[in-house]
Amino acid sequence: MSRNLVEIVRRHHEVGAPTALAVLKEAVQQRGEITDGDRRRAAARSGLPEAAVHGVSTFYDDLLQPRGRSRHVRVCTGTACFAATADEHVAQISAGLGLELGERSADGEVSLAETVCLGFCHASPAVRDGDVVDAGPGVVARVLAAATQPAAEPAPRSLLADGPELLARGRDWEGLARAVAQLTPAALLEEVKSATVRGRGGAGFPAGSKWEFARDAPGERKFIVANGDEGDPGSYIDKVLMEAHPNLLIEGMALAGYAVGADHGFVLTRSEYPRSKPLLEAAVAQAHREGMLGARVLGSDFAFDITIVEGAGSYVVGEETALLACLQGLRGTVSARPPFPAQRGLHGMPTVVNNVETLCNIPVVARAGAAYYNELSPGAKTSGTKLVCFNERFARPGVYEVRFGTTLRELCEEVAGGLVDGHAIKALQIGGPLGGILPGWKLDTPLDFDALAAEGCMLGHGGIVAFDERTDMRALATHLLRFGAAESCGKCFPCRIGLRRGYEMFAGGAAVDRVKLEALLETLELGSLCAHGGGMPAPIRSLLAHFPEELGLAA
Amino acid sequence: MTMIRIEIDGTEAQVAPGTTVLEAVRALGGHVPTLCFDERQDPFGACRVCMVGVEGAPGPIAACMTPCRDAMKVSTSDATARRVAAATVELVLSELPEPPAAHTELATVARSFGIDGDDLRWPGEQHVREHDERHPYLALQQELCISCGRCVRACDEVQGAFALTATGRGLHANIAAGLDQGFRESTCVSCGACADTCPTDAITEISLLALAER
Repeated sequence: MSRNLVEIVRRHHEVGAPTALAVLKEAVQQRGEITDGDRRRAAARSGLPEAAVHGVSTFYDDLLQPRGRSRHVRVCTGTACFAATADEHVAQISAGLGLELGERSADGEVSLAETVCLGFCHASPAVRDGDVVDAGPGVVARVLAAATQPAAEPAPRSLLADGPELLARGRDWEGLARAVAQLTPAALLEEVKSATVRGRGGAGFPAGSKWEFARDAPGERKFIVANGDEGDPGSYIDKVLMEAHPNLLIEGMALAGYAVGADHGFVLTRSEYPRSKPLLEAAVAQAHREGMLGARVLGSDFAFDITIVEGAGSYVVGEETALLACLQGLRGTVSARPPFPAQRGLHGMPTVVNNVETLCNIPVVARAGAAYYNELSPGAKTSGTKLVCFNERFARPGVYEVRFGTTLRELCEEVAGGLVDGHAIKALQIGGPLGGILPGWKLDTPLDFDALAAEGCMLGHGGIVAFDERTDMRALATHLLRFGAAESCGKCFPCRIGLRRGYEMFAGGAAVDRVKLEALLETLELGSLCAHGGGMPAPIRSLLAHFPEELGLAA
Repeated sequence: MTMIRIEIDGTEAQVAPGTTVLEAVRALGGHVPTLCFDERQDPFGACRVCMVGVEGAPGPIAACMTPCRDAMKVSTSDATARRVAAATVELVLSELPEPPAAHTELATVARSFGIDGDDLRWPGEQHVREHDERHPYLALQQELCISCGRCVRACDEVQGAFALTATGRGLHANIAAGLDQGFRESTCVSCGACADTCPTDAITEISLLALAER
């Protein structure tokens, strides 16, 4: 990330200027597309050089897709929607509207675009019509009849009914009250470290260590950033937390600020989740009225406030350095670490970047203590509990709070009720597009970081997408690589070119040379700058290991 | 200051804290190929061609971005690192509609890996030819851009003109001057730092001789 551009952004932020991305988002919402006039205005208002604004305007999906005057239809091409229809809903809507993806009608009235993913994986396929997200049976007909209706949001359920677990309580601010009244910031940090809260966004890094780095780093200000860019297709856990339990996130962020010495937090939400930002803003306003945020939190000397910022459509922005770039209104590309965000993050200041679910775990620790938290999943290697979510192929899809160590068989068969209509689980993809694919005959694997890694899979963010026996595994490989290539931020060479080449090897229908494919996968795994290029080979490796006969490999 | 002791290809050395592996290798007279690196700029970590092996590490590392650590043992000839770097260079050649000119840094690096560009393992979509010669001294050939970011950083960090930007993403990433209306309409000050650092001739200075030939 350019240090000069970051400094320009910091100085303009201090005097209340909007980011270039915010101005460009406004322009596209008002006029349906971005003109050079809009770019010049964004440069003038944000202080960013015109060239840099141009770069931003060519990066994000929301700024690139032209919008129809009366109707902008976005069809979800996430993995759960693929599992539901093999992408037939995309073809049907495209044919019905007479528009290709990314096209606007000649009269400028109607436009069609793709989006990954809307977080309605419990009711796939999903389509967004303006700001209405419709999903499930009949959605294609309703889109074509211009009669879409909002789909039902999933109701999160906890399978831990016997204690102050993450979902069942946590609206009482008890953790923050106890911390501010009874714990020094250092004592709270020790509590979080003793609780070994592992990051829930995928990498599993201990939150306490991140906090300690940021607390000890020199800087005139420090920031807490909640990563709400839950881009993993098939995952809608953070969506539910931000929209149904926003107080939990606010409390977790305030606690992080208290421990680290930060007085401001930012949440980056996804534009694919249009309800997240307004619901979080309402919750922040309510928290101010209740004295939980502001200059004197709960009457103490601790000051903390939170700003909600919405992204503009980019998967890689979920990576922490790209997320910080997006928050500052810059191109959402990845930066090599070091420097880590804890040393030099938002506006060049020490910054804690934690996933939404990670921060939602903190109030439990602050309220009930590390010892309690460490006992929530008896016998498992990881402390606390995990939210998992299931796609529409299951009989009882939704978001559930479960204990670590539960086997995938228990989760899939008992919790989610097996697949609908007597279908069989051919395979699961767990933890998003960078997660390996677990064949249906390996369901006795426990849900935990290490156990899944041993199967070439990962816990990731906890999204569980089932494919039934009808799924064509070559089509799945093509689907995943198409997504990977389209979302590559374009910075490091192996990912920028290699994912496109991987997609091309499968998309053409020609036989795939296994030796060449594996050499390409190795280059991606070992050469890429971030987990996007490094992780996209994982599901392809799984398919090579478990379903080679379906991939159309050259003899 | 406590110095850091490292070993590079069997030779021991002491370096100051904060020294990168690439700096240490070059200080010892060793060679690691690079494409996105320019010693006048902050390291960028994009090209992944400077991969080296480190004893005990799970995989090769990018020498330009990795700080030396005490007791680190670096191998610049590590087979895995060389294989990954060579494959990456091969991928770069596959996106260009024509081979890079022999005098360019890219061509030199490709030759050092023994890649001639004739039999690429992963052929596919290439950059579209698009030339901008509206500026009297600077010419841009978009199809030769490999998104190494050197021109953008030269304009930002060295010249402070901020006339260039990276554009797009994925295989369609490229560069543009100003609002993509050419150098002339941008804040370009015609310093030529971008052309000077470009490893592929995507940006070149139009010489007086070339102008006379037109």
